[in-house]
Amino acid sequence: MKKYLQLTLGVLLLFAARHAHAQTLSDAIMMKQREICFALMYDYGTWDHYWEGAELRVNGNIGTLTRKTTMGMVAYGVTKNLNALLTIPYIETKSSGGQLAGVKGFQDISIALKYEAFNKKIGNGKLLALATGAFATPMTNYLSDYQPYSLGQGTTEWTLRGIVQYELDKGMYVRGSVAHLWRGQTEIERDYYYNNGSYYTTYMDVPNAWNFQGTLGAWLFKYSLQLEATYFIMNCISGDDIRIYNAPQPTNKVEFSQVNLFAHYWFQKKAKGLGVLAYYSHMLEGRNMGQFTNIGGGFTYQFKL
Amino acid sequence: MKNKIFKIFFGAFFGVSIFFSCENDLPTRAEFTSIDFSGLDENGGTWAPVLLSSASEIVVDAPTAVNSTEYQAELSALRSATQNLSGSQVEAVQYWTNNPILRWNEIALELAAKYNLIPGPNPDGTYTLPNAANPAGPPPFPFAHPPYTCRMLAYLSVAQFDGLITAWHYKYTYNRPATYATDTTIPYAYTKNSLPSFPSDGAVIAVVSRDILIAMFPLEKDYLQAKAAEHLGSLTWSGSSVQSDIAAGEYIGTEVKKIALARAAGDGMKNAQTPKPKSDSIKAAALARFGWQWDNLESPVRPVGLTPLFGKVKMWNVPTVEEVRPVAPPAPGSPAFEKDAQELRDIAKNLTDNQRKIANWWSDGLSTYTPPGHWNRLAKDFMIKYKMNPLRSARTFAYMNMAIMDAGISCWDAKYYYHYPRPIQTIPGFKTILGTPNFPSYTSGHSTFSAAAAEVLAYIFPAEATFCRDWAQEAAESRIYGGIHYRFDAEIGIDQGQKVAQYTIDKAKLDNAN
Repeated sequence: MKKYLQLTLGVLLLFAARHAHAQTLSDAIMMKQREICFALMYDYGTWDHYWEGAELRVNGNIGTLTRKTTMGMVAYGVTKNLNALLTIPYIETKSSGGQLAGVKGFQDISIALKYEAFNKKIGNGKLLALATGAFATPMTNYLSDYQPYSLGQGTTEWTLRGIVQYELDKGMYVRGSVAHLWRGQTEIERDYYYNNGSYYTTYMDVPNAWNFQGTLGAWLFKYSLQLEATYFIMNCISGDDIRIYNAPQPTNKVEFSQVNLFAHYWFQKKAKGLGVLAYYSHMLEGRNMGQFTNIGGGFTYQFKL
Repeated sequence: MKNKIFKIFFGAFFGVSIFFSCENDLPTRAEFTSIDFSGLDENGGTWAPVLLSSASEIVVDAPTAVNSTEYQAELSALRSATQNLSGSQVEAVQYWTNNPILRWNEIALELAAKYNLIPGPNPDGTYTLPNAANPAGPPPFPFAHPPYTCRMLAYLSVAQFDGLITAWHYKYTYNRPATYATDTTIPYAYTKNSLPSFPSDGAVIAVVSRDILIAMFPLEKDYLQAKAAEHLGSLTWSGSSVQSDIAAGEYIGTEVKKIALARAAGDGMKNAQTPKPKSDSIKAAALARFGWQWDNLESPVRPVGLTPLFGKVKMWNVPTVEEVRPVAPPAPGSPAFEKDAQELRDIAKNLTDNQRKIANWWSDGLSTYTPPGHWNRLAKDFMIKYKMNPLRSARTFAYMNMAIMDAGISCWDAKYYYHYPRPIQTIPGFKTILGTPNFPSYTSGHSTFSAAAAEVLAYIFPAEATFCRDWAQEAAESRIYGGIHYRFDAEIGIDQGQKVAQYTIDKAKLDNAN
C-alpha cells in the first residue's frame, strides 16, 4: 500500500515531449528512494527546410515553421533501482509563410519506469546498465493529420530502451542507448487517403521506429555540472515518403539524425536541490521531416519526501 | 472507443521482449466478392445510349450455336481452365466479382488520388505545368484536379454504359445461355442468374475501362494493361465466359472507346489551362465589369489559375453554360458580403470539433480522389447495398458523372466570369485550416459538384435522397468551416448544382430504364 501511494505521488506532475529530448529517459541517472524531482522546460524549435523523401527543400507557403514546447516533468525514486517519470507537453505551432492556421494544445502524456539492472565497479570506473519502458498517449483530440502543424502523431506509443554507461572515477563517461518505439494507429478526420494506394478508413498506421543515441559526457566541479554531447538517430522501420509538394502525413517514414549539446548545473549550497539546464540541438540528415534546430532550457528541483 | 488493442509482454531485459500488436486491418477497397443482383434489366438493350445512336450501332454477328462443335470445344476448354486454379487466380476471381464496374471505378479513383498533386515551383520561382505531349514530365501528366477528375470519370462511365447497353442488346438478341446453364459441370464462382453470356459484359468493361483510363493516365499504361489482363483472365477462371463471349465483348469495348475518346479530343479540355496573357485578359474583364478580381496568394505566385477555360468545355446535357450561370455575388464591402465575412471570422475564432471534422471529412484535397471521386465512392456503396447489376451500375455512374461534370463546367464558368476573391484575400490576416485552392471563390466547386451528384443519386436511390442531400449540404458547409469559401459561395453553389443536375435527370427519365 505504501509503495502504491509512493508511485501515485510520483506520477502526479511532470513534463516531456515525445521525440524531442528524452534526456531523463535515456540517461543513466537514478534518484534515490523517495526522492522527487520536478522539472519545467521550454523548447523552441524551428525549421525553414524540410526533407521531402530524402530531398531537402523549402516551401514558400510555410516559410519558417516554429514549434514551441513547454514541458512539465516529475520523476520519483520508487526504490533506488526503480524510478518513475511522468511528462506533459504543451505545444504551439505556426508558420511564417502561407495562410494555414497554426495549432496549440496539450500533446501526449508519457509515463515511464526506469530500472537500474547493473551497477558494478570495473577498472577505474563503473559500468551501469539500465532499461526504461514508457507509454505515451494523446491527452487531447488534436488532429495528427494536419502536418506539419500537428502537435504529434496522435497515437499511443510504447517505448522500450536499453542503456549502457561506463563512467570513469574522474567523472567522464560514455553512454549508448537503443530503443524500439511501437506506435499504434491514429484516427483522422477523413475516411479516404492515399498511401501508395487507396485506403478506405479513418485510421492511419503510424510506423514503428528505432532510436539510437551515443553520448560523451563529463561531471565537473564536484558533480555540480554535467555536460553532454549526443548523437541521436531516429528511424521509422516502414512508411511512405511525403509526396511531391504535398503535406506530410502520419504514415510517413520519418528519419533523422541530430547532434545535441546539453548542460545541467546543480546548485550546491544556497539553493540545494535546484538545477538549471540548457541545450541546443540540430538535425544533420533526415527523411520526411523538418530540419529542426532547437534551443531549450529549464529548471529542475529535487528533494526528498 | 478506438479499436486499438495492444498486448505487450516485456521481457526481463531490453531486447528480450516479445510484442504482439493486433491492429485494425486497414481496408483498401470495398469488401464484397459476389452480388446477388436485384434484377437483370432484360430490356437493357432498349435503353438510350449517351454517345451511340442506338444499341445496334456497333454490329456484333451471331455466335455459334450452343450445340455446335466449336462451342462445345469452348465449353470444354473453359471447364478445364476452371480446374486447379492458382492462388492468384482465385484472388483475382474474388477481387473482380460479377460487378467489375465497381472495381474499375475504384481503380479510377486511386489513379485520381495518385495524380492529384499540384506542380510545385522550380528553383527560379517559375512553374512548369504538366504536358500531355510529354507525360513523364516533370511534372507528370496529368494533374488530376477536380475538373480533370470529373471529366475522366464522366468519359469512363459513359463509355462503360454505352458498351453495356450494346452488350445487353446482343445478349437478349442471341440469347446464348450462361456457360454453367449449358454445361452444369462448369463451376461458377458467383451467384447464378439467367443473364445470357454472349457477348461478355465483363470483357466490354475490361477493355473500355482500360483504354479510357490509359488515355486519361498515359503513364499508367502498363499497370492498366496488367489490370485488364487479370480481369479478362478472371472471366475464364470464374467460369463466366468462353473465348467467343470474351472476344465479342472486347470488340464492343474497342468500338465504344473510340467514340468516347473522339468526343473527349474535341470537347475543349485541351484549351482549359490557358496561357498567361489569356488568363490576364479574363481577370481584367472581371475587374472592368465588377470592380474586383481574384489573386493567387501563393509563394511564389502562380501566374495562372486552375483551368480558366474549363467553363467552355462541352457540356453533356445542358445546352449552354450561360443559362445556368448564377447571379453576381455581393460586392466586397457590401453589407451582404460583410455578414458572411464576419461569419468566417467568428468560425475561425471558435471552431468546434464537429466543424473541424466536417471541414476535413469533405476536404478531398490534394492526393485524394477529389469531391467527384468522393461522390463516386458513395454511389458505389449504394450500388453494393442495392445489389445493382453492372448495366445499372454503369447507368448510375454515367448519369451522376455527367451531372457532376456539367456542374463543374458551370461552376468554373462562374468562377472565371465573376473572378471573385477568396477570404484570405479580402479578410486581412485571415488564417484557414484548409489550403485555399488556385482558382476564384464564387461559386464553391464542392457545393456544385456535391449538389449535382446528390440530386442524381436521390433520383436513382429515392430511399437515400435525404442522406444524399444532407451530405451535399454538409460538403458545402465544410468549405465555410475550412475558411476558404463564403456562405454565399456555398449556398448559390448548391442551387447551381441542383439546377444543372436537373437537365441530366430529365434525360435519364426518358432513357427507358425506369
